[in-house]
Amino acid sequence: MKITSIIAACLAGAAAVKAAYDVAAPSALPLLPPGARPEGGFESLCVKCGKCIEACPYQSLHPAPASAGALAGAPCVDARIQACRLCAEFPCIEACPTGALAPVESKADVRMGVAVIDEDTCLSFQGMRCEVCYRVCPLIDEAITIDYRKREGDALHAVFAPIIDEEKCVGCGLCVERCVVSDPAPAIRIRPTGEPEAAQ
Amino acid sequence: MEISRRVFVKTTAVALASAAAAGTLSTMMGCSSGEGQEAPAGDSGTTKTLAVCRFCGCGCGVIVEAKDGKLISVTGDPENGSNRGLNCVKGYYLVGALTGEDRLTKPLIREDKSLKGTMDGFREATWEEALDLVASKLRETWKADKSRLAFWGSGQQPIVEGYCTAKFWKAGLLSNNIDPNARLCMASAVVGFMNVFQTDEPAGCYADIDETDVFVTWGANMAEAHPMLYSRLTARKLDNPNVLHYDLTTLTTRTSATATKVLTFTPGSDLAIANAIANYIVVNKLYDEAFINDHLQFKQGTENIGNSTADDYDVTEPGNTVDAVESITFEQYAERLAPYTLEYASEISGVPAADIEELAKVFADPSKKVLSLWTMGVNQHSRGTWMNHCIYNIHLLVGKYALPGSGAFSLTGQPTACGTAREVGTFCHRLPADLVVANEVHRRYTEAVWNLPEGYLDAIQKPGFHTVKTFRELSKGNIDFLWSAHNNWAVSMPNLTRFLGRGDKKGIFDAFICVSEVYPTLSTAYADVVLPAAMWVEREGAFGNGERRTAIFEKAIDPPGEAKWDLWMLMEIAKRVLEGETIDGVDAFDHLFGFIYDKEAADFKGDQREVCRTAWEEYRTFSNPWLNERANAINEEAGLKMDAKQLAPYDVYLEKHGLLWPVREVDGDWLETSWRFCDGEQADGFDQVGIATHGSQDLANGVSFYKSAGQKPSVVFRPYEPPAEMPSDEYPFWFCTGRLLEHWHTGSMTRRVPELDRALPEALLDMNPADCEKLGVVDGDMVRVKSRFGEVEIKVSTAGRTQPPEGLTFAPFFADETLVNLAVQDTYCPLSKEPDFKKTCVSIEKI
Repeated sequence: MKITSIIAACLAGAAAVKAAYDVAAPSALPLLPPGARPEGGFESLCVKCGKCIEACPYQSLHPAPASAGALAGAPCVDARIQACRLCAEFPCIEACPTGALAPVESKADVRMGVAVIDEDTCLSFQGMRCEVCYRVCPLIDEAITIDYRKREGDALHAVFAPIIDEEKCVGCGLCVERCVVSDPAPAIRIRPTGEPEAAQ
Repeated sequence: MEISRRVFVKTTAVALASAAAAGTLSTMMGCSSGEGQEAPAGDSGTTKTLAVCRFCGCGCGVIVEAKDGKLISVTGDPENGSNRGLNCVKGYYLVGALTGEDRLTKPLIREDKSLKGTMDGFREATWEEALDLVASKLRETWKADKSRLAFWGSGQQPIVEGYCTAKFWKAGLLSNNIDPNARLCMASAVVGFMNVFQTDEPAGCYADIDETDVFVTWGANMAEAHPMLYSRLTARKLDNPNVLHYDLTTLTTRTSATATKVLTFTPGSDLAIANAIANYIVVNKLYDEAFINDHLQFKQGTENIGNSTADDYDVTEPGNTVDAVESITFEQYAERLAPYTLEYASEISGVPAADIEELAKVFADPSKKVLSLWTMGVNQHSRGTWMNHCIYNIHLLVGKYALPGSGAFSLTGQPTACGTAREVGTFCHRLPADLVVANEVHRRYTEAVWNLPEGYLDAIQKPGFHTVKTFRELSKGNIDFLWSAHNNWAVSMPNLTRFLGRGDKKGIFDAFICVSEVYPTLSTAYADVVLPAAMWVEREGAFGNGERRTAIFEKAIDPPGEAKWDLWMLMEIAKRVLEGETIDGVDAFDHLFGFIYDKEAADFKGDQREVCRTAWEEYRTFSNPWLNERANAINEEAGLKMDAKQLAPYDVYLEKHGLLWPVREVDGDWLETSWRFCDGEQADGFDQVGIATHGSQDLANGVSFYKSAGQKPSVVFRPYEPPAEMPSDEYPFWFCTGRLLEHWHTGSMTRRVPELDRALPEALLDMNPADCEKLGVVDGDMVRVKSRFGEVEIKVSTAGRTQPPEGLTFAPFFADETLVNLAVQDTYCPLSKEPDFKKTCVSIEKI
């Protein structure tokens, strides 16, 4: 094995260990349903009645686990299992009796969080034609766009790099649900609204 | 530290690249037989073998790593000139396509015919029992009425198997009822090639992408259907920001997303647009006069040809005259074009006249190389052959064909649609190497190669049933025996409401159906016998991709359970069916296949490499006539130019990672041809040997179309005629079907790959939001899509992966639980018999 490949293996291995650590220590903040405003009183308004969970036609919502602290039992989305599908009528919001989930105009106004791509594990950044996240994005060409780049040392192929627009991404998590990478973790995750950027 | 798969892939790619740099592939490829070869870089016991991706027509090279009889990884071949070690996500997860939990490992015999349509009612059987049953049914049908049997093959059937199947069917059974699923994707391109050039092949190659100045995509979602070629196209655009891309399409796709300009046209009106471009070029004298004088002849053909929706279309007017053409002058051609003004084309197509004019000027600009690329929007078209003509007409008028960077290219969708279906000729009207059954000299030549008595093949001078005809006859109870392999007709055929007997439970329920498969599919659910097949690198084989590249994939592992090589199944069935038959006084089976198979021992003569090599050598004789004295004499006398498609000896393909034919022996080395009919050094990929042998030098643009009649390709005027159906009050929407990146064809392989299934788990109906509003449906609602042919329930999406204009809808065909072909018309192009999967008219209602 060449020296360069050993270094590459070590670097990638280190990245894998770091990613595995990230999975083991989930963010304290769960991914909350559309209309939830973590900084606008969601915690105090949500009575954990479960009506939104019942109303969700996709079974995307479930009670947050104990590790969510004060938000344990509040509705949340595990995007990898079932992302929020941004229903046109937002039945979860309609079902909320307390206003913890406040009305939103349209899917583009939802602010659940922002997707973050791990460029080290993402297949597209390595020149494979994947871009699954881009094609499934309900706000395709807005929340996720493709940056077409030359591929270093290869005149015949381009890199189709998916890029998140943090202003437009609503954090529904469909990209996370569909990402083909799972070892050690999906190559894309949602940073829930309210979680500081550095926490990723 | 556990090394992730990605890291492993990265490190092996580097190791392989350095190993490959040090020697030929055969020294690094380990061993399928395991004899006397050192294991290459990696853990001991690990083998690395060469292969081509199992899926689309890009033909990406891959390296297969196996250990202890199991696949460890499939990675891009860094030495492959086409993909340079990269893959799309399907190729990246190729291992999973072989390791689905429900692989078929034992022959199955149906005990309860009433349960057809399900995988219930089968019992496991021995090979002996299953083969005896299939062979007895085939022999019984064959003896009773040869018109009642059929084989449906594939553009995925490896070359040698396709060759032997065609030989068994045509020479053994003297039947032309054999057709491939390539009829559904490439037939219009084939008839276009034959009508224009009298040779079935693209003149250019994928390297044209790297050199062109303008891409024109016609009815092609390359970004999804040809992922790595689209990466190459994109690299070209990044390399030179002046490179243009015009996308002509009926709906906005991921390909449109990166185009310089998108021309969205009303379905079927592409004929009018292409004619308007040609007319603009002619009226404004923007054509290449020297090229026209040296190279072109002009024709027109039968018009007002109606539609093939009725079963008897082919045998009554106008269906039986659609192939007729007559010569006309350039002036007459110009007159025929004259009605196609920019305004007229704009009126029919909805594309602004200024956009059509802009594209016409780009085609005519002498400083620009132009490359047209098309796929199913052009070929799966009720006037698919005509549309192929119209594109060539433009390129030929401006002399932009058969030159590096300038060409017109129908991209294939299957790994060996070209290599097997077309080059071997597993069609109902063909013989190997572009020969056809209806031509007497072609039959004589084939008899020579197959060592048959002169006149033996006269029994098959009439073409058999093409694909749609086969299934129409099946549904009417006129087929008693059907054998299919390497396809999934119960999902991919159009008009499945009829063909699956959903109404009367007849036809398919009564016929005896044998399906060779690797997984249970909807097709096996309709089978009477299921034969478990070895898949891809579980055996040796070869594919021929869209750019004339022949490439071998080596055996890397054994098939699971009792699954067997398709060629073995063919030999065992042929042996039984031909029992007691003779050809020229010799046992018929031994006469046809004794050179590779010992019927007493029920085994091949030699290992798979030797069998493939031996069969290849016989097949190669078709394009190397001097290997057979009798064939050579016929070739010389009739001027067949059979060597024009010369293939190399088998092992050369292993050494060179695949080669583009014709492959020429120059000073002891075998050299490929990248640019057909274009003069230049053979060593640089030009057609030096072909032109020196058959063509003329110093003609306009340095090209010589020596395969064409009179050495002149035909510009054939083809008018605009409307699609078979137009939207009406009852069926107000166009329904277009196609492929998406994550899943390949009917999904029988890719949906068993967990990563790909996760990425795209369901088939959705893409709709325009304005149409949704009119119908009162929202994203995620279930609707019923209903046509004159049938109906299907599907979930609506307005997410925007494809963005249909108002009045048009799109759905992929990969999901058998959302069987879109229940509603798709089986109307086909009258010339090519390829169905139009893009323009069924439907109603849509919320459920």
